[in-house]
This record gives sequence, structure tokens and C-alpha cells, in this order.
Amino acid sequence: MESTPRVTCAYLNSYVGKNVMIVGKVIQLRGDEALIDADGNITAHLNRDSHLTAGSGVQVIGKVNPDLSIKVLSSLDLGTAVDYNLANTVVEISHQHRSLFASD
Amino acid sequence: MTSYGGYKSTSYGGRAGAEDGGGFMGGSQQGSQGQKKSYVDEFLRPVTIKQLLDCKPGYNDSDLQLDGQPITQVTFVGQIRSINPQVTNITYKVDDGTGMIDVKKWIDPEKAGDNESKFVLDTYVRVLGRIQSFNGKLHIGAHHVRAIDDFNEVNYHLLEATYVHLCIVKGSGGGGGDGPGAGQNDDSMFVDGGHVSNANKTANCSRLAQRLYDFLASSAEGTSGVNINEIVAGTGMSPRDVSGAADELLGQGLVYTTVDDETWAILDY
Repeated sequence: MESTPRVTCAYLNSYVGKNVMIVGKVIQLRGDEALIDADGNITAHLNRDSHLTAGSGVQVIGKVNPDLSIKVLSSLDLGTAVDYNLANTVVEISHQHRSLFASD
Repeated sequence: MTSYGGYKSTSYGGRAGAEDGGGFMGGSQQGSQGQKKSYVDEFLRPVTIKQLLDCKPGYNDSDLQLDGQPITQVTFVGQIRSINPQVTNITYKVDDGTGMIDVKKWIDPEKAGDNESKFVLDTYVRVLGRIQSFNGKLHIGAHHVRAIDDFNEVNYHLLEATYVHLCIVKGSGGGGGDGPGAGQNDDSMFVDGGHVSNANKTANCSRLAQRLYDFLASSAEGTSGVNINEIVAGTGMSPRDVSGAADELLGQGLVYTTVDDETWAILDY
């Protein structure tokens, strides 16, 4: 599997059709759709194995659709003790120092 | 502190010991080869998996290098993507979003139950181990693998790997949490003794330039200087790195060429 860059909402535009990793907070669950806040709201289309909890942190790996929603391939519940500022900072840092993080 | 030096010898070594003593265990593995190796540069480096996959063998087919420094002991985080129990080890594929690498945890036959994985797929783990190259393919010989309970450790690790990378590539800044300020270096005068005078002069230089300067300082006798071949043999840096580092030091007026363009001595005043 190739790498999955860490992104927030603002970066989705540049990753359409690619696999990315998003860390955010689950705002709302609606059937097989979830709204995730990762420095902005992202709609995620869940798969059957996704077990998300509203209010908890989640890491999803998925493909960015043309409408900037995410088709989730894998998700991981992170509990409630997630530092979202830290997660967003890491995304910024990983884009500033691509030699350590991105293989393209 | 001589910031990066301090990070390497004090804080980092100290912490590796405190966590689980994984830092120095690999020493015995290579001792049997009868080949004398320097363990001075051997320290536990936090990395991303992408960095590991990018490691290149150093000049003279020496140890693998990262950012121009030899690298052996590493620590990283990632999710377990596959578990493959073998007769003598368990092989995990670990993925941190930047790449994927094989991690082999050798089974201790004395220990009951050591031949079964304690981990569920997709768990985040922290790995401490030694880089090994087998048939041109890299894997990690793990000393220790443990599950990560607090997800923030993952992000913390990625920042730490970036920090250490920048310390090495750009030279030492105000490392170790020292605030910026003129008095900053005063501390280290007492801690590191003579080494500090070098660090002060080369504070604005890259890590490679600092290494060259330290080598010249430790080996130069009289004003005849040290030839590039000797430097390459002594430091394990590639000739190109040495030239680049020397150009940088020349530009700062810290060294000068002596008998030819590839022989340098420290400009002492």
C-alpha cells in the first residue's frame, strides 16, 4: 500500500482521487454517513466495519471523492482524549517537511 | 547545552533507558563479527517510516545513513497491518501513513506465549529496534513492541521525528526547550567543557560542517591541515559531503586550505 498523507479539510482539494488519512472529531452520525470536524467539516461515507461514536475522535483512511467527501476504507476510534490542535499542527508540519512524510 | 549534542547524550539516552532500556541492547549482536565498530554515534533516533525507507548506505558501504549520519537504533510508531507468525519470529507490517515496513520480533523460546502476537490488527504500536538489511530489503529487528494507549503519542512522535531531523540538517538551534537568549550558552560551558568552543564557532553551520570542524579540531596537528582522504576515512562522510561542509566552513572563515584545495586546517585566532 502506498502512503496515505495526513490532511485536514483545507487540503482535500489537492487530493481528489487519492487515499488520505484524517484525524478529527465525529460531529454527527446519520446512517452510513458521518460528519467529521478536522479543521472544517468533512462528510465521510462509512463502510460496514466502521464503528464511530459521536463526540469521539476518529482516524479515517479513505479516498477523496470529487465532491470532497470521503469514502472510508478503514476507521479507528480514538476515544475522547484527542488533542485536535496537535493533530492539525502535525498535518501542517507534515506538509511543510514533505521529505519526512510524503512519497511523491 | 551544545543543543544537539545535549539532546543526543543526555536527554535522549536518558529517556530511552527510562522507557524500557531498549536503547543499547543491540550492542551484543554485532560484537561477534569481530569487526570493530564505533558506538559513539549510536543513539536511538525517532523516525517516520518514510525516512527509514529512504535510508541509503553510506560511503564505503558502511552503515545506513540518514541525513548524513549513521543510523542503527530507531523508534517509530505505526498501525499493524498484518501479523505473520514464523518459527523464530513474528513479522508485523507496520504502517504510519508515510510508508510501510516489516518488523520482526524474535521469539524468546524460554518465555511461554511469546510466539503469539499480543496485538489486534490496526492497533497503533511503538517499535524500538535496529535497522537491518537483508537481500537488499530493509526490515526492523525489534527489541520491543508495545501498544500505544494514548493516541496523542502518535502525533507527538511525528513532531519529535521532525524536530530531530531539523536539528541534524540545519544544525542545532535553541534545542532541548532552551529559550532563545544570549545567556543560553553559558550553561553548557560547565557541562561540556572544551567541546563548547567548537559549538559556539560553528553554531550557525550545518550538522555536516560541525562534524568536519570537530574532526579537524580533534586531529589537526600544527598547521599542515588534514587531507580530504583522511577526513573521509575518519568520519565516514562522502567526499562530496566533505567538500560541501568545507566550502561552508571556508565561507565562514573558520578553516583555510593549506597544501592544496582539498586539505584544510582550522583557522585559529
